[in-house]
Amino acid sequence: MRQILDLLLRALLVLAGAALLTFTLLWHAPGDPATTIAVARYDSVVSQEIIAQIRAEAGLDAGYWTAFRHWVTPLLAGDLGNSAVSGRPIWPEMRTAMALTAPLALSGLLIGLGLSIPLAMLAVRHPGGWVDRGAVAVASLGAAMPAYWLALLLILLFAVKLLWLPAMGTGSARHLILPALTLGLGTAAALTRILRSALLEARGAPFLPALARRGVQRRERALSHIAPHAAIPVLTVAGLELAFLLEGTVMVEVIFARPGLGGFLIHAIQARDFPKVQAVVLLIALVFVVVNLLTDLLYQLVDPRIGESDA
Amino acid sequence: MRELRPVLIVAGLLAALALFGPALAPNAPNAIDIPNRLAAPGGQYPLGTDAMGRCILSRLLHGASWSLGLAFLVSTIGLVTGTLIGLSAAMGGRRIDWVVMRVTDIFLAFPDLVAAVVIAGVLGAGTGSLIFALSATGWMRYARVTRGIGLGLAKRGHVVQARLAGLSPAAIARWHYLPALAPSLTVVWTGMLARAILGISALGFLGFGVQPPTPEWGTMLLDARVHMRSTPLQMIWPGGAVVLCVLAINLTGDILRDALTERTEPA
Repeated sequence: MRQILDLLLRALLVLAGAALLTFTLLWHAPGDPATTIAVARYDSVVSQEIIAQIRAEAGLDAGYWTAFRHWVTPLLAGDLGNSAVSGRPIWPEMRTAMALTAPLALSGLLIGLGLSIPLAMLAVRHPGGWVDRGAVAVASLGAAMPAYWLALLLILLFAVKLLWLPAMGTGSARHLILPALTLGLGTAAALTRILRSALLEARGAPFLPALARRGVQRRERALSHIAPHAAIPVLTVAGLELAFLLEGTVMVEVIFARPGLGGFLIHAIQARDFPKVQAVVLLIALVFVVVNLLTDLLYQLVDPRIGESDA
Repeated sequence: MRELRPVLIVAGLLAALALFGPALAPNAPNAIDIPNRLAAPGGQYPLGTDAMGRCILSRLLHGASWSLGLAFLVSTIGLVTGTLIGLSAAMGGRRIDWVVMRVTDIFLAFPDLVAAVVIAGVLGAGTGSLIFALSATGWMRYARVTRGIGLGLAKRGHVVQARLAGLSPAAIARWHYLPALAPSLTVVWTGMLARAILGISALGFLGFGVQPPTPEWGTMLLDARVHMRSTPLQMIWPGGAVVLCVLAINLTGDILRDALTERTEPA
Protein backbone atom coordinates (compact mmCIF):
# COMPACT_ATOMS: atom_id res chain seq x y z
CA MET A 1 0.00 0.00 0.00
CA ARG A 2 2.85 2.33 0.92
CA GLN A 3 4.54 1.60 -2.40
CA ILE A 4 1.39 2.42 -4.32
CA LEU A 5 1.10 5.72 -2.48
CA ASP A 6 4.75 6.39 -3.25
CA LEU A 7 4.20 5.78 -6.94
CA LEU A 8 1.15 8.06 -6.97
CA LEU A 9 3.03 10.86 -5.25
CA ARG A 10 5.91 10.51 -7.64
CA ALA A 11 3.56 10.65 -10.64
CA LEU A 12 2.03 13.87 -9.30
CA LEU A 13 5.47 15.34 -8.78
CA VAL A 14 6.49 14.46 -12.33
CA LEU A 15 3.33 16.06 -13.70
CA ALA A 16 3.92 19.25 -11.76
CA GLY A 17 7.52 19.30 -12.97
CA ALA A 18 6.39 18.69 -16.53
CA ALA A 19 4.01 21.63 -16.34
CA LEU A 20 6.75 23.88 -14.98
CA LEU A 21 9.24 22.70 -17.60
CA THR A 22 6.81 23.31 -20.45
CA PHE A 23 5.92 26.73 -19.15
CA THR A 24 9.58 27.67 -18.69
CA LEU A 25 10.46 26.67 -22.23
CA LEU A 26 7.65 28.72 -23.72
CA TRP A 27 8.35 31.67 -21.42
CA HIS A 28 11.91 31.83 -22.71
CA ALA A 29 10.94 31.39 -26.35
CA PRO A 30 12.50 34.02 -28.59
CA GLY A 31 10.36 36.90 -29.78
CA ASP A 32 7.86 39.05 -27.94
CA PRO A 33 4.77 36.92 -27.37
CA ALA A 34 2.44 39.92 -27.23
CA THR A 35 3.60 41.09 -30.66
CA THR A 36 3.20 37.56 -32.00
CA ILE A 37 -0.36 37.39 -30.70
CA ALA A 38 -1.15 40.84 -32.07
CA VAL A 39 0.14 39.98 -35.53
CA ALA A 40 -1.63 36.64 -35.50
CA ARG A 41 -4.88 38.28 -34.46
CA TYR A 42 -4.95 41.36 -36.66
CA ASP A 43 -2.73 40.17 -39.46
CA SER A 44 -1.01 43.46 -40.19
CA VAL A 45 1.19 46.14 -38.65
CA VAL A 46 -0.14 46.81 -35.15
CA SER A 47 0.32 49.81 -32.93
CA GLN A 48 2.25 49.79 -29.67
CA GLU A 49 -0.95 50.44 -27.69
CA ILE A 50 -2.56 47.27 -28.96
CA ILE A 51 0.55 45.28 -28.11
CA ALA A 52 0.60 46.74 -24.61
CA GLN A 53 -3.08 45.98 -24.21
CA ILE A 54 -2.57 42.37 -25.24
CA ARG A 55 0.40 42.07 -22.92
CA ALA A 56 -1.68 43.16 -19.97
CA GLU A 57 -4.67 41.07 -20.97
CA ALA A 58 -2.60 37.87 -21.32
CA GLY A 59 -0.83 38.47 -18.00
CA LEU A 60 2.52 38.69 -19.78
CA ASP A 61 3.69 41.80 -17.92
CA ALA A 62 3.35 40.22 -14.50
CA GLY A 63 6.57 38.23 -14.39
CA TYR A 64 7.37 34.52 -14.54
CA TRP A 65 5.76 33.20 -11.37
CA THR A 66 2.61 35.29 -11.63
CA ALA A 67 2.16 34.20 -15.22
CA PHE A 68 2.72 30.59 -14.20
CA ARG A 69 0.05 30.94 -11.50
CA HIS A 70 -2.32 32.51 -14.01
CA TRP A 71 -1.94 29.44 -16.16
CA VAL A 72 -1.93 26.73 -13.50
CA THR A 73 -4.77 27.89 -11.23
CA PRO A 74 -7.54 27.54 -13.84
CA LEU A 75 -5.77 24.45 -15.16
CA LEU A 76 -6.27 22.68 -11.83
CA ALA A 77 -9.98 23.35 -12.21
CA GLY A 78 -9.87 21.80 -15.67
CA ASP A 79 -9.75 25.02 -17.68
CA LEU A 80 -7.07 24.88 -20.37
CA GLY A 81 -7.41 28.58 -21.16
CA ASN A 82 -7.97 30.34 -24.46
CA SER A 83 -6.12 30.33 -27.73
CA ALA A 84 -3.75 33.26 -28.01
CA VAL A 85 -4.65 33.72 -31.67
CA SER A 86 -8.40 33.26 -31.88
CA GLY A 87 -9.18 33.98 -28.23
CA ARG A 88 -11.57 31.04 -28.16
CA PRO A 89 -11.40 28.35 -25.46
CA ILE A 90 -8.89 25.61 -26.30
CA TRP A 91 -10.73 22.61 -24.90
CA PRO A 92 -13.58 22.22 -27.48
CA GLU A 93 -11.13 22.34 -30.38
CA MET A 94 -8.76 19.99 -28.64
CA ARG A 95 -11.56 17.55 -27.90
CA THR A 96 -12.45 17.41 -31.59
CA ALA A 97 -8.81 16.72 -32.40
CA MET A 98 -8.60 14.01 -29.75
CA ALA A 99 -11.66 12.32 -31.17
CA LEU A 100 -9.67 11.83 -34.37
CA THR A 101 -6.44 10.78 -32.66
CA ALA A 102 -7.90 8.20 -30.30
CA PRO A 103 -9.18 5.77 -32.95
CA LEU A 104 -5.90 6.09 -34.86
CA ALA A 105 -3.71 5.36 -31.84
CA LEU A 106 -6.00 2.55 -30.73
CA SER A 107 -6.14 0.84 -34.11
CA GLY A 108 -2.38 1.26 -34.46
CA LEU A 109 -1.91 -0.45 -31.12
CA LEU A 110 -4.32 -3.25 -32.03
CA ILE A 111 -2.60 -3.87 -35.37
CA GLY A 112 0.74 -3.85 -33.57
CA LEU A 113 -0.36 -6.37 -30.95
CA GLY A 114 -2.25 -8.47 -33.47
CA LEU A 115 0.84 -8.84 -35.64
CA SER A 116 3.58 -9.05 -33.03
CA ILE A 117 2.09 -11.60 -30.61
CA PRO A 118 1.51 -14.36 -33.15
CA LEU A 119 4.77 -13.55 -34.94
CA ALA A 120 6.81 -13.72 -31.74
CA MET A 121 5.10 -16.94 -30.69
CA LEU A 122 5.78 -18.53 -34.07
CA ALA A 123 9.36 -17.30 -33.99
CA VAL A 124 10.27 -18.85 -30.65
CA ARG A 125 8.88 -22.27 -31.59
CA HIS A 126 12.14 -23.00 -33.37
CA PRO A 127 14.72 -20.45 -32.27
CA GLY A 128 17.18 -19.90 -35.10
CA GLY A 129 14.82 -21.45 -37.65
CA TRP A 130 13.77 -19.61 -40.79
CA VAL A 131 10.56 -18.26 -39.28
CA ASP A 132 12.55 -16.88 -36.37
CA ARG A 133 15.20 -15.33 -38.58
CA GLY A 134 12.58 -13.86 -40.87
CA ALA A 135 10.72 -12.36 -37.92
CA VAL A 136 13.91 -10.82 -36.54
CA ALA A 137 14.87 -9.43 -39.95
CA VAL A 138 11.46 -7.86 -40.53
CA ALA A 139 11.39 -6.47 -37.00
CA SER A 140 14.88 -4.96 -37.36
CA LEU A 141 13.94 -3.37 -40.66
CA GLY A 142 10.75 -2.03 -39.14
CA ALA A 143 12.61 -0.54 -36.18
CA ALA A 144 14.93 1.33 -38.55
CA MET A 145 12.05 2.65 -40.66
CA PRO A 146 10.99 6.22 -39.87
CA ALA A 147 7.20 6.44 -39.57
CA TYR A 148 7.04 9.26 -42.10
CA TRP A 149 8.88 7.29 -44.76
CA LEU A 150 6.79 4.17 -44.22
CA ALA A 151 3.73 6.40 -44.54
CA LEU A 152 4.96 7.84 -47.82
CA LEU A 153 5.74 4.37 -49.17
CA LEU A 154 2.28 3.13 -48.24
CA ILE A 155 0.71 6.18 -49.88
CA LEU A 156 2.81 5.57 -52.97
CA LEU A 157 1.74 1.94 -53.20
CA PHE A 158 -1.91 1.99 -52.15
CA ALA A 159 -3.01 5.50 -53.06
CA VAL A 160 -0.87 6.52 -56.03
CA LYS A 161 -0.11 3.25 -57.83
CA LEU A 162 -3.01 0.96 -56.91
CA LEU A 163 -5.58 3.70 -56.23
CA TRP A 164 -7.22 1.52 -53.55
CA LEU A 165 -7.27 3.93 -50.67
CA PRO A 166 -7.40 7.68 -50.12
CA ALA A 167 -4.02 9.27 -49.40
CA MET A 168 -5.10 12.01 -47.05
CA GLY A 169 -7.87 13.57 -45.08
CA THR A 170 -10.60 12.14 -42.94
CA GLY A 171 -14.23 11.33 -43.41
CA SER A 172 -14.61 7.60 -43.78
CA ALA A 173 -13.22 4.46 -42.23
CA ARG A 174 -11.16 4.01 -45.40
CA HIS A 175 -9.24 7.14 -44.51
CA LEU A 176 -8.13 5.45 -41.31
CA ILE A 177 -6.60 2.37 -42.95
CA LEU A 178 -3.27 3.75 -44.17
CA PRO A 179 -2.46 5.85 -41.08
CA ALA A 180 -3.39 2.97 -38.78
CA LEU A 181 -1.31 0.58 -40.85
CA THR A 182 1.70 2.90 -40.68
CA LEU A 183 1.46 3.11 -36.91
CA GLY A 184 0.64 -0.56 -36.49
CA LEU A 185 3.54 -1.83 -38.56
CA GLY A 186 6.02 0.33 -36.65
CA THR A 187 4.60 -0.77 -33.31
CA ALA A 188 4.60 -4.40 -34.39
CA ALA A 189 8.28 -4.23 -35.34
CA ALA A 190 9.31 -2.90 -31.96
CA LEU A 191 7.03 -5.24 -30.01
CA THR A 192 8.07 -8.37 -31.91
CA ARG A 193 11.70 -7.95 -30.94
CA ILE A 194 10.88 -7.43 -27.28
CA LEU A 195 8.27 -10.18 -27.08
CA ARG A 196 10.52 -12.64 -28.84
CA SER A 197 13.47 -12.16 -26.51
CA ALA A 198 11.17 -12.14 -23.48
CA LEU A 199 9.57 -15.42 -24.54
CA LEU A 200 12.94 -16.97 -25.31
CA GLU A 201 14.23 -16.04 -21.91
CA ALA A 202 11.14 -17.28 -20.12
CA ARG A 203 11.22 -20.55 -22.05
CA GLY A 204 14.80 -21.12 -21.02
CA ALA A 205 13.97 -20.93 -17.33
CA PRO A 206 15.52 -23.89 -15.46
CA PHE A 207 12.34 -24.73 -13.57
CA LEU A 208 10.41 -25.57 -16.74
CA PRO A 209 11.89 -29.04 -17.34
CA ALA A 210 11.32 -29.77 -13.67
CA LEU A 211 7.67 -28.78 -14.01
CA ALA A 212 7.34 -30.92 -17.12
CA ARG A 213 8.73 -33.93 -15.34
CA ARG A 214 6.36 -33.37 -12.48
CA GLY A 215 3.57 -33.80 -14.98
CA VAL A 216 2.38 -30.20 -15.30
CA GLN A 217 0.56 -29.89 -18.62
CA ARG A 218 2.06 -27.89 -21.49
CA ARG A 219 -0.86 -25.51 -21.52
CA GLU A 220 -0.55 -24.76 -17.85
CA ARG A 221 3.19 -24.36 -18.10
CA ALA A 222 2.72 -21.80 -20.83
CA LEU A 223 -0.10 -19.89 -19.15
CA SER A 224 0.95 -19.77 -15.55
CA HIS A 225 4.72 -20.05 -15.77
CA ILE A 226 6.07 -18.77 -19.07
CA ALA A 227 3.57 -15.95 -19.62
CA PRO A 228 4.12 -14.06 -16.32
CA HIS A 229 7.87 -14.25 -16.76
CA ALA A 230 7.65 -13.00 -20.31
CA ALA A 231 5.30 -10.22 -19.21
CA ILE A 232 7.90 -8.46 -17.07
CA PRO A 233 10.23 -7.22 -19.82
CA VAL A 234 7.24 -6.46 -22.00
CA LEU A 235 5.76 -4.27 -19.28
CA THR A 236 9.10 -2.55 -18.84
CA VAL A 237 8.99 -1.31 -22.38
CA ALA A 238 5.27 -0.62 -22.47
CA GLY A 239 6.00 3.00 -21.59
CA LEU A 240 8.53 3.27 -24.40
CA GLU A 241 6.02 1.70 -26.73
CA LEU A 242 3.49 4.32 -25.81
CA ALA A 243 6.06 6.99 -26.56
CA PHE A 244 6.56 5.44 -29.94
CA LEU A 245 2.82 5.38 -30.52
CA LEU A 246 2.39 9.03 -29.52
CA GLU A 247 5.32 10.19 -31.62
CA GLY A 248 4.16 8.07 -34.50
CA THR A 249 0.66 9.50 -34.23
CA VAL A 250 1.98 13.06 -34.44
CA MET A 251 4.02 12.30 -37.56
CA VAL A 252 1.36 10.17 -39.19
CA GLU A 253 -1.35 12.77 -38.65
CA VAL A 254 0.80 15.43 -40.25
CA ILE A 255 1.55 13.29 -43.28
CA PHE A 256 -2.01 12.11 -43.80
CA ALA A 257 -3.39 15.58 -43.11
CA ARG A 258 -5.61 14.32 -40.29
CA PRO A 259 -6.60 17.25 -38.09
CA GLY A 260 -5.90 15.27 -34.90
CA LEU A 261 -3.76 16.17 -31.90
CA GLY A 262 -0.53 15.95 -33.89
CA GLY A 263 -1.73 18.38 -36.51
CA PHE A 264 -3.18 20.55 -33.75
CA LEU A 265 0.23 20.67 -32.06
CA ILE A 266 2.20 21.45 -35.21
CA HIS A 267 -0.22 24.20 -36.27
CA ALA A 268 -0.11 25.68 -32.78
CA ILE A 269 3.70 25.74 -32.88
CA GLN A 270 3.73 27.34 -36.32
CA ALA A 271 1.20 29.97 -35.26
CA ARG A 272 3.17 30.48 -32.01
CA ASP A 273 -0.09 29.93 -30.16
CA PHE A 274 1.62 29.00 -26.90
CA PRO A 275 -1.43 28.32 -24.72
CA LYS A 276 -2.41 25.64 -27.23
CA VAL A 277 1.10 24.19 -27.32
CA GLN A 278 1.13 24.05 -23.53
CA ALA A 279 -2.23 22.31 -23.45
CA VAL A 280 -1.26 19.58 -25.93
CA VAL A 281 2.16 18.98 -24.41
CA LEU A 282 0.67 18.70 -20.97
CA LEU A 283 -2.02 16.32 -22.18
CA ILE A 284 0.60 14.10 -23.80
CA ALA A 285 2.67 14.15 -20.62
CA LEU A 286 -0.44 13.29 -18.62
CA VAL A 287 -1.22 10.27 -20.78
CA PHE A 288 2.39 9.21 -20.61
CA VAL A 289 2.67 9.55 -16.84
CA VAL A 290 -0.61 7.74 -16.21
CA VAL A 291 0.38 4.83 -18.44
CA ASN A 292 3.78 4.64 -16.78
CA LEU A 293 2.08 4.64 -13.41
CA LEU A 294 -0.23 1.81 -14.46
CA THR A 295 2.78 -0.10 -15.80
CA ASP A 296 4.59 0.30 -12.50
CA LEU A 297 1.54 -0.89 -10.59
CA LEU A 298 1.07 -3.91 -12.87
CA TYR A 299 4.77 -4.59 -12.61
CA GLN A 300 4.50 -4.95 -8.86
CA LEU A 301 1.49 -7.17 -9.30
CA VAL A 302 3.32 -9.52 -11.68
CA ASP A 303 6.64 -9.53 -9.88
CA PRO A 304 6.38 -9.11 -6.12
CA ARG A 305 10.18 -8.85 -5.83
CA ILE A 306 10.17 -5.43 -7.47
CA GLY A 307 9.66 -2.26 -5.48
CA GLU A 308 11.69 -2.99 -2.40
CA SER A 309 14.97 -1.32 -3.22
CA ASP A 310 14.24 0.28 -6.57
CA ALA A 311 14.32 4.06 -6.46
CA MET B 1 37.72 -9.42 -30.68
CA ARG B 2 36.82 -11.19 -33.91
CA GLU B 3 33.11 -10.84 -33.32
CA LEU B 4 33.64 -7.07 -33.24
CA ARG B 5 35.00 -6.94 -36.78
CA PRO B 6 31.61 -6.11 -38.38
CA VAL B 7 31.21 -3.34 -35.82
CA LEU B 8 34.49 -1.77 -36.88
CA ILE B 9 33.65 -2.15 -40.56
CA VAL B 10 30.25 -0.46 -40.19
CA ALA B 11 31.68 2.28 -37.98
CA GLY B 12 34.45 2.87 -40.52
CA LEU B 13 32.02 2.97 -43.44
CA LEU B 14 29.68 5.42 -41.73
CA ALA B 15 32.54 7.65 -40.65
CA ALA B 16 33.97 7.59 -44.18
CA LEU B 17 30.56 8.45 -45.60
CA ALA B 18 30.19 11.39 -43.24
CA LEU B 19 33.76 12.65 -43.78
CA PHE B 20 34.37 11.95 -47.46
CA GLY B 21 30.81 11.73 -48.81
CA PRO B 22 30.77 15.38 -49.95
CA ALA B 23 34.10 14.89 -51.76
CA LEU B 24 32.60 12.05 -53.80
CA ALA B 25 29.64 14.10 -55.00
CA PRO B 26 29.66 14.49 -58.80
CA ASN B 27 27.96 17.91 -58.76
CA ALA B 28 27.52 20.87 -56.44
CA PRO B 29 24.62 20.05 -54.10
CA ASN B 30 22.83 23.37 -54.54
CA ALA B 31 23.54 23.96 -58.24
CA ILE B 32 20.20 24.61 -59.92
CA ASP B 33 19.61 23.27 -63.43
CA ILE B 34 16.05 24.14 -64.36
CA PRO B 35 16.05 22.66 -67.90
CA ASN B 36 16.92 19.29 -66.35
CA ARG B 37 14.48 19.41 -63.47
CA LEU B 38 13.02 16.10 -62.26
CA ALA B 39 15.33 14.26 -64.63
CA ALA B 40 15.43 10.48 -64.58
CA PRO B 41 18.59 8.77 -63.31
CA GLY B 42 21.47 8.61 -65.78
CA GLY B 43 24.11 10.70 -67.49
CA GLN B 44 25.35 13.70 -65.60
CA TYR B 45 22.94 12.96 -62.73
CA PRO B 46 23.34 9.30 -61.64
CA LEU B 47 20.24 9.39 -59.43
CA GLY B 48 18.36 12.09 -61.32
CA THR B 49 17.46 15.59 -60.21
CA ASP B 50 14.89 17.16 -57.92
CA ALA B 51 12.28 19.81 -58.68
CA MET B 52 14.94 22.52 -58.98
CA GLY B 53 17.24 20.40 -61.11
CA ARG B 54 19.68 19.73 -58.29
CA CYS B 55 21.69 16.50 -58.42
CA ILE B 56 20.08 14.02 -56.00
CA LEU B 57 23.20 11.89 -55.53
CA SER B 58 25.28 14.94 -54.64
CA ARG B 59 22.63 16.12 -52.21
CA LEU B 60 22.47 12.66 -50.63
CA LEU B 61 26.26 12.56 -50.18
CA HIS B 62 26.40 16.06 -48.74
CA GLY B 63 23.37 15.19 -46.62
CA ALA B 64 25.28 12.24 -45.17
CA SER B 65 27.74 14.52 -43.46
CA TRP B 66 24.88 16.66 -42.12
CA SER B 67 22.73 13.79 -40.92
CA LEU B 68 25.52 11.57 -39.58
CA GLY B 69 27.68 14.40 -38.28
CA LEU B 70 24.82 16.04 -36.41
CA ALA B 71 23.70 12.67 -35.04
CA PHE B 72 27.22 12.03 -33.79
CA LEU B 73 27.36 15.45 -32.19
CA VAL B 74 23.96 15.20 -30.55
CA SER B 75 24.44 11.69 -29.19
CA THR B 76 27.87 12.61 -27.83
CA ILE B 77 26.54 15.73 -26.09
CA GLY B 78 23.89 13.48 -24.55
CA LEU B 79 26.55 10.97 -23.53
CA VAL B 80 28.69 13.55 -21.74
CA THR B 81 25.87 15.40 -19.96
CA GLY B 82 23.94 12.23 -19.14
CA THR B 83 27.00 10.51 -17.70
CA LEU B 84 27.91 13.53 -15.58
CA ILE B 85 24.35 13.80 -14.30
CA GLY B 86 24.21 10.07 -13.57
CA LEU B 87 27.55 10.17 -11.78
CA SER B 88 26.45 13.07 -9.62
CA ALA B 89 23.36 11.05 -8.65
CA ALA B 90 25.35 7.92 -7.90
CA MET B 91 28.16 9.63 -5.99
CA GLY B 92 26.43 12.61 -4.41
CA GLY B 93 24.53 10.91 -1.63
CA ARG B 94 20.87 10.06 -1.21
CA ARG B 95 19.41 13.55 -1.35
CA ILE B 96 21.16 14.59 -4.54
CA ASP B 97 20.31 11.20 -6.00
CA TRP B 98 16.62 11.71 -5.22
CA VAL B 99 16.51 15.18 -6.74
CA VAL B 100 18.46 14.22 -9.85
CA MET B 101 16.36 11.15 -10.51
CA ARG B 102 13.11 13.10 -10.11
CA VAL B 103 14.36 15.68 -12.61
CA THR B 104 15.21 12.81 -14.94
CA ASP B 105 11.67 11.45 -14.46
CA ILE B 106 10.26 14.84 -15.41
CA PHE B 107 12.26 14.92 -18.64
CA LEU B 108 11.14 11.37 -19.34
CA ALA B 109 7.50 12.44 -19.02
CA PHE B 110 7.51 13.54 -22.66
CA PRO B 111 8.00 11.29 -25.66
CA ASP B 112 11.44 12.36 -27.02
CA LEU B 113 10.44 13.21 -30.54
CA VAL B 114 7.34 15.15 -29.52
CA ALA B 115 9.44 17.11 -27.02
CA ALA B 116 12.15 17.72 -29.62
CA VAL B 117 9.55 18.95 -32.13
CA VAL B 118 8.10 21.36 -29.57
CA ILE B 119 11.50 22.66 -28.44
CA ALA B 120 12.88 23.07 -31.96
CA GLY B 121 9.62 24.60 -33.19
CA VAL B 122 9.31 27.06 -30.33
CA LEU B 123 12.95 28.15 -30.43
CA GLY B 124 12.67 28.71 -34.17
CA ALA B 125 13.67 26.31 -36.90
CA GLY B 126 17.39 25.96 -37.50
CA THR B 127 20.41 23.78 -36.87
CA GLY B 128 21.16 25.29 -33.45
CA SER B 129 17.64 24.66 -32.17
CA LEU B 130 17.79 21.15 -33.56
CA ILE B 131 21.01 20.36 -31.70
CA PHE B 132 19.62 21.83 -28.49
CA ALA B 133 16.28 20.05 -28.84
CA LEU B 134 17.77 16.62 -29.48
CA SER B 135 20.42 16.99 -26.77
CA ALA B 136 17.91 18.19 -24.18
CA THR B 137 15.74 15.15 -24.87
CA GLY B 138 18.57 12.65 -25.24
CA TRP B 139 20.55 12.52 -21.99
CA MET B 140 18.17 10.66 -19.68
CA ARG B 141 19.00 7.12 -20.69
CA TYR B 142 22.73 7.67 -20.09
CA ALA B 143 21.97 9.18 -16.69
CA ARG B 144 19.83 6.23 -15.65
CA VAL B 145 22.33 3.63 -16.79
CA THR B 146 25.24 5.48 -15.16
CA ARG B 147 23.37 5.87 -11.90
CA GLY B 148 22.26 2.24 -11.83
CA ILE B 149 25.75 0.86 -12.37
CA GLY B 150 27.32 3.57 -10.20
CA LEU B 151 25.16 2.75 -7.17
CA GLY B 152 26.27 -0.86 -7.44
CA LEU B 153 29.91 0.17 -7.73
CA ALA B 154 29.80 2.40 -4.66
CA LYS B 155 29.49 -0.66 -2.41
CA ARG B 156 32.32 -2.62 -4.06
CA GLY B 157 35.61 -3.15 -2.25
CA HIS B 158 38.00 -1.33 -4.54
CA VAL B 159 35.80 1.77 -4.70
CA VAL B 160 35.39 1.85 -0.93
CA GLN B 161 39.15 1.47 -0.54
CA ALA B 162 39.83 4.26 -3.01
CA ARG B 163 37.50 6.51 -1.05
CA LEU B 164 39.12 5.62 2.27
CA ALA B 165 42.54 6.21 0.73
CA GLY B 166 41.43 9.78 0.17
CA LEU B 167 41.10 9.82 -3.62
CA SER B 168 39.03 12.76 -4.84
CA PRO B 169 35.54 12.01 -6.24
CA ALA B 170 36.75 13.13 -9.66
CA ALA B 171 39.63 10.66 -9.56
CA ILE B 172 37.37 7.86 -8.36
CA ALA B 173 34.95 8.67 -11.15
CA ARG B 174 37.76 8.71 -13.69
CA TRP B 175 39.60 5.55 -12.65
CA HIS B 176 36.91 3.37 -11.09
CA TYR B 177 33.57 4.41 -12.52
CA LEU B 178 34.24 5.27 -16.15
CA PRO B 179 36.01 2.01 -17.06
CA ALA B 180 33.16 0.02 -15.52
CA LEU B 181 30.57 2.18 -17.25
CA ALA B 182 32.18 2.21 -20.69
CA PRO B 183 30.67 -0.99 -22.14
CA SER B 184 27.07 -0.17 -21.17
CA LEU B 185 27.41 3.47 -22.17
CA THR B 186 28.78 2.46 -25.57
CA VAL B 187 25.74 0.28 -26.15
CA VAL B 188 23.38 3.07 -25.10
CA TRP B 189 25.32 5.47 -27.32
CA THR B 190 24.82 3.35 -30.44
CA GLY B 191 21.10 3.21 -29.74
CA MET B 192 20.96 6.96 -29.25
CA LEU B 193 22.99 7.55 -32.42
CA ALA B 194 20.36 5.68 -34.40
CA ARG B 195 17.58 7.60 -32.65
CA ALA B 196 19.36 10.88 -33.39
CA ILE B 197 19.49 10.10 -37.11
CA LEU B 198 15.75 9.38 -37.03
CA GLY B 199 15.11 12.52 -34.98
CA ILE B 200 17.13 14.80 -37.24
CA SER B 201 15.39 13.60 -40.36
CA ALA B 202 11.98 13.73 -38.66
CA LEU B 203 12.53 17.35 -37.61
CA GLY B 204 13.82 18.14 -41.09
CA PHE B 205 10.77 16.53 -42.61
CA LEU B 206 8.46 18.59 -40.39
CA GLY B 207 10.39 21.73 -41.39
CA PHE B 208 11.74 22.38 -37.88
CA GLY B 209 15.28 21.11 -38.41
CA VAL B 210 18.11 21.88 -40.79
CA GLN B 211 16.79 24.52 -43.19
CA PRO B 212 16.73 24.39 -46.97
CA PRO B 213 18.65 24.64 -49.24
CA THR B 214 21.07 22.67 -47.01
CA PRO B 215 20.90 19.09 -48.22
CA GLU B 216 19.65 17.02 -45.29
CA TRP B 217 17.84 13.72 -45.71
CA GLY B 218 14.64 14.77 -43.92
CA THR B 219 14.28 18.04 -45.81
CA MET B 220 15.04 16.23 -49.07
CA LEU B 221 12.17 13.89 -48.32
CA LEU B 222 9.92 16.86 -47.66
CA ASP B 223 10.80 18.29 -51.09
CA ALA B 224 10.41 14.93 -52.79
CA ARG B 225 7.00 14.31 -51.30
CA VAL B 226 5.33 16.94 -53.46
CA HIS B 227 6.51 15.19 -56.61
CA MET B 228 5.56 11.71 -55.46
CA ARG B 229 3.26 11.12 -58.41
CA SER B 230 5.66 12.13 -61.15
CA THR B 231 9.00 10.97 -59.72
CA PRO B 232 8.45 8.48 -56.91
CA LEU B 233 12.12 7.43 -56.99
CA GLN B 234 13.17 10.83 -55.69
CA MET B 235 11.43 9.95 -52.45
CA ILE B 236 13.00 6.51 -52.15
CA TRP B 237 16.64 7.65 -51.89
CA PRO B 238 16.73 9.84 -48.77
CA GLY B 239 14.39 7.55 -46.84
CA GLY B 240 16.44 4.55 -47.91
CA ALA B 241 19.61 6.26 -46.74
CA VAL B 242 18.10 6.85 -43.29
CA VAL B 243 16.88 3.26 -43.01
CA LEU B 244 20.21 1.83 -44.14
CA CYS B 245 22.24 3.86 -41.65
CA VAL B 246 19.87 3.23 -38.75
CA LEU B 247 19.67 -0.47 -39.55
CA ALA B 248 23.47 -0.77 -39.74
CA ILE B 249 23.89 1.05 -36.45
CA ASN B 250 21.19 -0.98 -34.72
CA LEU B 251 22.62 -4.29 -35.90
CA THR B 252 26.16 -3.41 -34.85
CA GLY B 253 24.73 -2.17 -31.57
CA ASP B 254 23.25 -5.64 -31.02
CA ILE B 255 26.60 -7.28 -31.75
CA LEU B 256 28.32 -4.82 -29.46
CA ARG B 257 25.83 -5.46 -26.69
CA ASP B 258 26.27 -9.22 -26.89
CA ALA B 259 30.06 -8.95 -26.96
CA LEU B 260 30.41 -6.33 -24.24
CA THR B 261 27.83 -7.55 -21.76
CA GLU B 262 29.17 -11.10 -22.01
CA ARG B 263 32.61 -9.93 -21.07
CA THR B 264 31.51 -7.76 -18.18
CA GLU B 265 29.07 -10.26 -16.67
CA PRO B 266 31.44 -12.30 -14.47
CA ALA B 267 33.19 -9.23 -13.06
